[in-house]
Amino acid sequence: MSAPLLEARGLTRRYALPRQSLLRKPPQMTAVDGISFTIEAGQTLGVVGESGSGKSTIARMVMAFEAPDAGQVLFRGQDLHGLKAGELRRQRQHFQMVFQDPFGSLDPRRRVGWSIAEPLRAIGLEADGARRSMEALEQVGLHPGDAEKYPHEFSGGQRQRIAIARAIVTRPALLVADEAVSALDVSVQAQILNLLMDLQEELGLGLLFISHDLAVIGSICDQLLVMQHGKAIEQGPVGQILRTPAQPYTQSLLKASGVFV
Amino acid sequence: MFDLQDFTVSFGGHAALRGASLRIDRGDRLGVVGESGSGKSMLALSLIGMVPEAAQLSGQLSIDGRDMSRASERDWQRLRARRVAIIFQEPMAALNPLRRVGETVMEPMLIHEGLSQRAAEAKALALFEEVGIPDPAARLRQFPHQLSGGQRQRVLIALALACDPGLLIADEPTTALDANVALRITDLLVRLAEEREMALVFISHDLAAVARATRDIVVMYGGDMVERGPTQEVLAGPAHPYTRGLLGARPDPLANMAGRGGGRRQRLPTIPGTVPLLRELPQGCRFAGRCPVEVPQCAARVPLATRLGPDRSAACHLLQAEESA
Repeated sequence: MSAPLLEARGLTRRYALPRQSLLRKPPQMTAVDGISFTIEAGQTLGVVGESGSGKSTIARMVMAFEAPDAGQVLFRGQDLHGLKAGELRRQRQHFQMVFQDPFGSLDPRRRVGWSIAEPLRAIGLEADGARRSMEALEQVGLHPGDAEKYPHEFSGGQRQRIAIARAIVTRPALLVADEAVSALDVSVQAQILNLLMDLQEELGLGLLFISHDLAVIGSICDQLLVMQHGKAIEQGPVGQILRTPAQPYTQSLLKASGVFV
Repeated sequence: MFDLQDFTVSFGGHAALRGASLRIDRGDRLGVVGESGSGKSMLALSLIGMVPEAAQLSGQLSIDGRDMSRASERDWQRLRARRVAIIFQEPMAALNPLRRVGETVMEPMLIHEGLSQRAAEAKALALFEEVGIPDPAARLRQFPHQLSGGQRQRVLIALALACDPGLLIADEPTTALDANVALRITDLLVRLAEEREMALVFISHDLAAVARATRDIVVMYGGDMVERGPTQEVLAGPAHPYTRGLLGARPDPLANMAGRGGGRRQRLPTIPGTVPLLRELPQGCRFAGRCPVEVPQCAARVPLATRLGPDRSAACHLLQAEESA
């Protein structure tokens, strides 16, 4: 049997808190505590929890921006945190990330075509940059000609499309989306969620989808991981958890996600 | 108390708020919903006399029977805080990071009400208790960075209540908060409005929060008030195509479960296109060009509000045509 696209085994990450006393070791807090999950190609795992529950720390470890204190991230069976820097850089084209604030992650002084092609330059594919960034723009429902424009010429939803174009330009197998629709208006959010579903089915992407909004999670995910204080308190198929949440915390999230009529 | 009549705010001939009319009385709880560019924040700024100077205004605003449309900044300063207060989305940005939160909350009492330092301290303490800040005496002496997001928002609510306003405007008060905290802040605002017989204008793109907090609702799009009425009625049976689109686009955590199981996942209903720029909005119905039930006259002619019930109306050419037929 071949290895899953992504497997996290017992991921744990601790951070040092500010020192309380000069002579004692600073106290630690465990941001992520023994989390395990797998994502297959074409599947979506949702991670839900409040701010500070460890969601984004998981994203950073999966993206190998940050190493776990214990546990492994296996991408196609290969431990990302055991790779040498050069090898990791070559692997990065296969897993990409979309952030919450597209305005903060696009260089305002560069044409968006340049920003979209940035991941290609990092792996030495700049020759193809212009053609592939135009192709990516089309895939996210924008015009190839938009490559010549600057970020301020776009609306918030369009900027998030650009951020997604940049993430798929290397033709990755895994996409990590950290609160990628949270800053968007409801109708724009629906468009971006549909786009992610389209791209996923078209490209067979595995998706790690992080959100604090259970309604959004319910509409896009297959599997769900509910986090509280760094621990997985509930994990399984999304339909099952949303229909019969076992934990009071999950129930309260469901209530807060706003079903009003 | 507050009476806005045919109020328009324009920038270079383009209306960001067009012909808005609104009455707010003691104890009213009004929700204003709409997406970015709908004009809902411009409406809030109009009610507190903080419209940007570059804007051209027309129409009437009277507060307690007094015409404020041409009031000077000095008049407004006297009125603000005492009659109307506002809280914004980002509590960290609204608090001075270098001052203890207690001092910030006391400031308007010292300036507007002429309270002594001691009386202001006592009132700030009482307000912290009222808005549900635990260990209020200690919190008064803390700095904003020492508080959580929800507590900061409570501090801002206390600040807004400092001079016992008759109207509290909450502009996206829960957007930056976690879902559970947002729920508690929403409930707090409702409780305060009821206990103090204060009017509340709750501006949000979060329909669930508005449904929970308000009795009446105004739906805005492109600077127009497109639909209004009792909150539950409007949300249960939206009459305007934009309101229907907005409600339909909300992801429902459970709606998608039925068709799950290997097959193609259901897509969310969307409103096609994007909100046009201010200068590119159609002259007639602002929703023309995106509307699923558009007829030729929509883009050219401004639809009038059609009465749908004692307190209900919507501005759509189709409803107008139905009524006259």
